[in-house]
Amino acid sequence: MQKIVVPGEKIADAQLRLDDGLVENNATYSTVIGIYDDERKTLIPLEGLWYPRRDDRVVGVIEEDKLNTYVVNLNAPYKGLIISKFVDTPLAAGDSIEAMIKEVDKTKTAILMRPRRLAGGKVMMVRPSKVPRIIGKNDTMIKQIMDFTKSTIVIGLNGVVWMKGGNVDLATAAILKIEEEAHTSGLTERVREMLQKGAL
Amino acid sequence: MAGGEKPVLIKDGKRLDGRGAEDLREIKIIPDYIKNADGSAYIEWGNNKIIAAVYGPQEALPKHVQDPQRAIIKCRYQMAPFSSLEEHGRTGPNRRAIEISKVTKEVFENAVLIDYFPGSEIDLYVEVLQGDGGTRAAGITVASVAMALSGIPMRDLPYSVSVGKVGESLILDLNKIEDNYSDADMPIAISPKSNDILLLQMDGNLTRDEVRQGIKMAQRAGEKIARMQREALKAPYERIAERYKK
Repeated sequence: MQKIVVPGEKIADAQLRLDDGLVENNATYSTVIGIYDDERKTLIPLEGLWYPRRDDRVVGVIEEDKLNTYVVNLNAPYKGLIISKFVDTPLAAGDSIEAMIKEVDKTKTAILMRPRRLAGGKVMMVRPSKVPRIIGKNDTMIKQIMDFTKSTIVIGLNGVVWMKGGNVDLATAAILKIEEEAHTSGLTERVREMLQKGAL
Repeated sequence: MAGGEKPVLIKDGKRLDGRGAEDLREIKIIPDYIKNADGSAYIEWGNNKIIAAVYGPQEALPKHVQDPQRAIIKCRYQMAPFSSLEEHGRTGPNRRAIEISKVTKEVFENAVLIDYFPGSEIDLYVEVLQGDGGTRAAGITVASVAMALSGIPMRDLPYSVSVGKVGESLILDLNKIEDNYSDADMPIAISPKSNDILLLQMDGNLTRDEVRQGIKMAQRAGEKIARMQREALKAPYERIAERYKK
């Protein structure tokens, strides 16, 4: 059974290891608004923030070009850093990049690796908790959007989406629809209908 | 307390607006009231009309205010200049606004998991559009809804309500006239999960027993307020889910 839970609501009388759970007095409480499934023992946040983790794929914008590092805005309270000497072609402030998180230090600054410059295009922000739904199981949702709109789309787990080419407006509308209706079932079909109508 | 002749606040067991001693005013909470904010809500608590908005967490600036261990919360409680018959906010925050901002901030420092976000700040704005007594309690209640909607992890959803004393009897949820002429006024904020008290202020005199009794009254009313907060948070999602139910 799935149910919507809010912060402070008890979700189980046992100690569960959940990203958005809090264990107190041998019980587990939710810390966010989310959907709890008591068969699978999962808590999917409906509203949530992104915490940098190793191997996360992120999209960001270069904010500053310092002597030996680039400071990257990740649309989060933490900054990303790229060590300049590992970058082949120099980047400039204002460039959009896609990168992987190599490690996260004590102050939650994310050290990035293998940056890829994303030339031109548009950047849009979505709520990080909706990113998995926008990508879909085995990338089905995002592939569907890319097939219909012929846009190139790169999504970072931090909630930054980069889009270029094709029907960017339709892709934006589809992503906004997914963001709003992320917690409902049958969304892939509804988005396909929307894209088919829009693509005509 | 205001001067002048004291009106009769309780007559035949009924208060001026017809409520009993333990009755709350009508409460209506609208979530996601401001689209630009990360989380926001609007409350109508009797004649109180309050908007709360949350931004963040974001990098704390200026840099010297950053705490390397946890996030800082900046709270701004403000009554609009037109919000009541008295003067408010024409010359920036006054003594009262600064005090309420501080106590609201301290409520949320104990409710939000601030140690998840070292070096960042969370901005909380509580704007009173129309005030009719008990605005700090209503402000905390609506701010916790806004905070939850912003996705910031919280231990609990705190609520707040005020308890007062008129003559020999204790009353719940004072309005402006009762607030001005009552013998005591005690706003309380409580974390419903553990019944921890996050705010306790008192104006006037109460005996020990009356304070204990007042806290119990607040907890009983709190069950109702907490339920309304939870319903307000869940309603938009349930509405969208309902639309596509097979």
